[in-house]
Amino acid sequence: MKIQYSYLKNFLNTNLSQKKLSDVFTQVGFECEIEGGLIEFDITPNRGDALSLRGLEREFNAYQLKKPSKKLETSPLKLIQDKKIINQIDGSGCGNYHLMLVKDLQKIKNLDSKKRSFIESAGIPLINPLVDLGNYVMLEIGAPMHVFDLEKLALPINVLFPQEKHNPVTVIGGDVKDILSSSLTIQDQSGIQAIAGIIGSEVSSVSSNTSSIAVEAAFFRPEVIVNQARKYGLATDASHRFERGVDPELQQTALERYLFLLDQIAEYDSVELYHSYTHKTQKKNVKLDVARFNKFSGLSLKASKAILILKNLGFKVHTRSEKNVTFKIPSHRFDISLEEDLYEELLRSYGYDNIPISKPKAGPIVNNKQNNALNNLRLGLVHSGFKELMHMPFVSRDSFHQLNSNNWKPAELHNPINENEPLLRGSLFRSLFAAVNSNVKKGYTSIKIFEAGNVFKKEKSGFNQSLHLSGMIYHHEPQQTWSQKELTYDFFSLKGEISKLLQTLGMQNIELQKASSLMPFNKNALDIFIGKQKIGVMGEIDLSVTEKLVKKQAYGFVIYPEKISLSSVNPKIVKTSKFPLSTRDINIVLDKSISYEEVERSISQGAIKHLVSFNLINTFEGKNIPKDSFSMTLRFTFQSNTKSLLESEINRSMQMTLKLLEKRLNAKIRS
Amino acid sequence: MQIPQDLIETAALKLKSVQSEAEFFQLRAQYLGKKSFVVTAFSKLRNLQSDEKVNAAKELNLLKNNLTKLFEISIEDIESKGDHKKLDVTLPADPFLVGSEHPITKISQKIINYFTPLNYQIFSGNEIETDFYNFEALNFPENHPARQMHDTFYLNSSSKSEYLLRTHTSNTQVHAMLDEDLPLYMLSPGRVFRCDSDTTHLPMFTQIEGLVVDEDVTFGDLKGVLIDFLEDFFNEKMEVRFRPSYFPFTEPSAEVDIKFGKQGWLEILGCGMVHPNVLNGCNIDTKKFRGFAFGMGVERLAMLYYGVTDIREFYSSNLDFLNQFPS
Repeated sequence: MKIQYSYLKNFLNTNLSQKKLSDVFTQVGFECEIEGGLIEFDITPNRGDALSLRGLEREFNAYQLKKPSKKLETSPLKLIQDKKIINQIDGSGCGNYHLMLVKDLQKIKNLDSKKRSFIESAGIPLINPLVDLGNYVMLEIGAPMHVFDLEKLALPINVLFPQEKHNPVTVIGGDVKDILSSSLTIQDQSGIQAIAGIIGSEVSSVSSNTSSIAVEAAFFRPEVIVNQARKYGLATDASHRFERGVDPELQQTALERYLFLLDQIAEYDSVELYHSYTHKTQKKNVKLDVARFNKFSGLSLKASKAILILKNLGFKVHTRSEKNVTFKIPSHRFDISLEEDLYEELLRSYGYDNIPISKPKAGPIVNNKQNNALNNLRLGLVHSGFKELMHMPFVSRDSFHQLNSNNWKPAELHNPINENEPLLRGSLFRSLFAAVNSNVKKGYTSIKIFEAGNVFKKEKSGFNQSLHLSGMIYHHEPQQTWSQKELTYDFFSLKGEISKLLQTLGMQNIELQKASSLMPFNKNALDIFIGKQKIGVMGEIDLSVTEKLVKKQAYGFVIYPEKISLSSVNPKIVKTSKFPLSTRDINIVLDKSISYEEVERSISQGAIKHLVSFNLINTFEGKNIPKDSFSMTLRFTFQSNTKSLLESEINRSMQMTLKLLEKRLNAKIRS
Repeated sequence: MQIPQDLIETAALKLKSVQSEAEFFQLRAQYLGKKSFVVTAFSKLRNLQSDEKVNAAKELNLLKNNLTKLFEISIEDIESKGDHKKLDVTLPADPFLVGSEHPITKISQKIINYFTPLNYQIFSGNEIETDFYNFEALNFPENHPARQMHDTFYLNSSSKSEYLLRTHTSNTQVHAMLDEDLPLYMLSPGRVFRCDSDTTHLPMFTQIEGLVVDEDVTFGDLKGVLIDFLEDFFNEKMEVRFRPSYFPFTEPSAEVDIKFGKQGWLEILGCGMVHPNVLNGCNIDTKKFRGFAFGMGVERLAMLYYGVTDIREFYSSNLDFLNQFPS
């Protein structure tokens, strides 16, 4: 709500500067921003009562511990009930309906220039003195009004929800709106004349020829107004107030104030005020236990001070006992219904900054339940030279289907910001591909990146989210060094990097198995297991799924941190041998169809005596090796825990090994 | 002429501690250079009587020879210490990449690190949430304008409950209050979503929510922990201002501002005492327990902390930007 400072200053009868006045309102909970000669008030949705000069004045006076202001001047009228004027009102949407009929207006003048400028600077256009006056009274005391051309209305008025499915109405401004059956409407005998609390129809609107008017002031319930204006794309100053709540006892005063001001700009023959109530608002009483309040706040306020503060805000003492004071809640404070609401009023007036501070308290000791491996993995990657990135989770249908199998049902947004990206990601790789692409364009030739975040899936009932940690290694061109050293990154570099990461973080029993196909990797990929639990995949990126964002061979991995539990079980430590190690190398020739995994498995399962470890030294194919075969050099290391091994013992173990390889893998020894 | 007797010994001693060739040559100049005792003493010989001159010359020659020998042996030692090919060690290293955590991760962790020693438990919660946990249980009545403050992304779903992307991390409060034992001290970091995008707003950002439910918790406790946290975070005494505000799930509610250099008062977080409707909804005995809650935007804190001016940079995957944040 924008208010002209000069007008507000006069209304509040204060000399405070624009800056100081803004600070005062900010302090009591109405955040202000200064915009030239205006103050823009950010009024929170619970305080619809403050959306007027009068509302601001109440707060200002309470802050200064001044008594509530005197009433504004009005021209009092007698209330008349007459079914020929207001016939039927729907109580579920409307609490009261007032219609002031003013006939045979003459010599209508404009509002004075101060009021006109005040209205305009609040962002409300000047239309016609009779309409402008209604807008002025709304800004002044907070009750929205609508002015009909009385001669265009076929009375009586009904306030009802439409029965028909389609109700086209031309609203002020000329747009045709199809009024929904959920919208409360003001109807006369010819049809809908207004969407309650939002906008009137063009037909019954005031024009320069208007000589008699019907001025409406009503209490429409917030719950029937909220979200209605949005549906028609018609957020008006009236709807903004009705949605937040309007004082249900203000309508008569508002019309009498309108009339008082009308007297200053026009002459007329007659005026009558009609009304109809569906229910009188119940007076609310709320109890305050001052001792409990002091415990709640950490203050030690006396009851008399509490009463003084609340009285200044318009609350009246209803009853008082030794322990409690019960307050009558004024009708405009429909936001107050609990004792805690009064606490807020007291603290607000007392000043939050005046509440004494206590030292930070600690909670009871607990084991942090969320102990997944993400933080450790993240640090491990950072130390290996990876940059962490973060991205929005919105993806296009194409990207989603490139990276997710058909049985992965996407989570789809009903109202995406970008229509081309309506799905929530099912993989983090799309963003990583784009990141590689944009940074290669910037001139980066070597890139190691990762991201941690949730991926989403639609399930039979509801949705599933799971945490992924995905990364990529990309070398746009082989790395060159001045020393001509060859630094190539290949699948086995990746395998080493990830194995090192996992083992350094204390993950034991890691098993790597040829991957069952999973996007975005090609067939050169491995599933990572801890025991039987699959905790990730690594491999070469299948460039065909990167939407041309990645142009050269890249490597990647995905790890599921939620599947890894970092146990704090102490390892069992065994005594190490102090006897010497012996190594032996052998060359064997194998069929090309045999994988290293099979060699490894055969030897491991052989339980060779004294064998501590073995590793692959070299592979070779070509000269002197039969086609379809290749040779492998393996190095075996032997050691005993109890003695130095004899040459004969080592030879025996080697013989065993060779026999095993011959038998199981048809290996041939190469001299 | 007086010839110092311990010259050789001190020279030998000093040579032992020589670390480099440069030091060696410096020391040799000291003992055998133009200004050294030996050389200057030779030039003074002509002032002496002839027999004295002969004796002194003998002694000086002996001394000079011994010193020269001493330094010759010594340089051989130094040169042979490590028989290696000399490198130009100033040549560049093999290429390497420097890793780093994302600034939002770092700031989140910095915040978490303040609260974990106070035994706040960490819960990350669900990013896809039902209307109940995101709004209803937090005292946002249906059709309340407060819901309009949150531009919510909804999900297409055939199930009865309405699913949405959480608009704040406060949803985790409700889960924790329903599932955990009291007293409860918790922190909930995570991503939140608002259907809103311009130069200062992103459709996704990061929040950290804190909640305490305990006996005898006061507004003064809330103020105390937040002021202490802010001073810890910025590592200086802060001017902090609490002013009334409105959140449906707290009563009273407050915005917290800090005075930040030339920028004046800046809104930094929201907080309040947990609304009794929220506690009651989570079956918490409001006669016995009270609570406070607070929530802050990590991007905003990161922008202030690092002096970042464009919030969109955080999600741009721009390595030029990210390289500026060391780990």
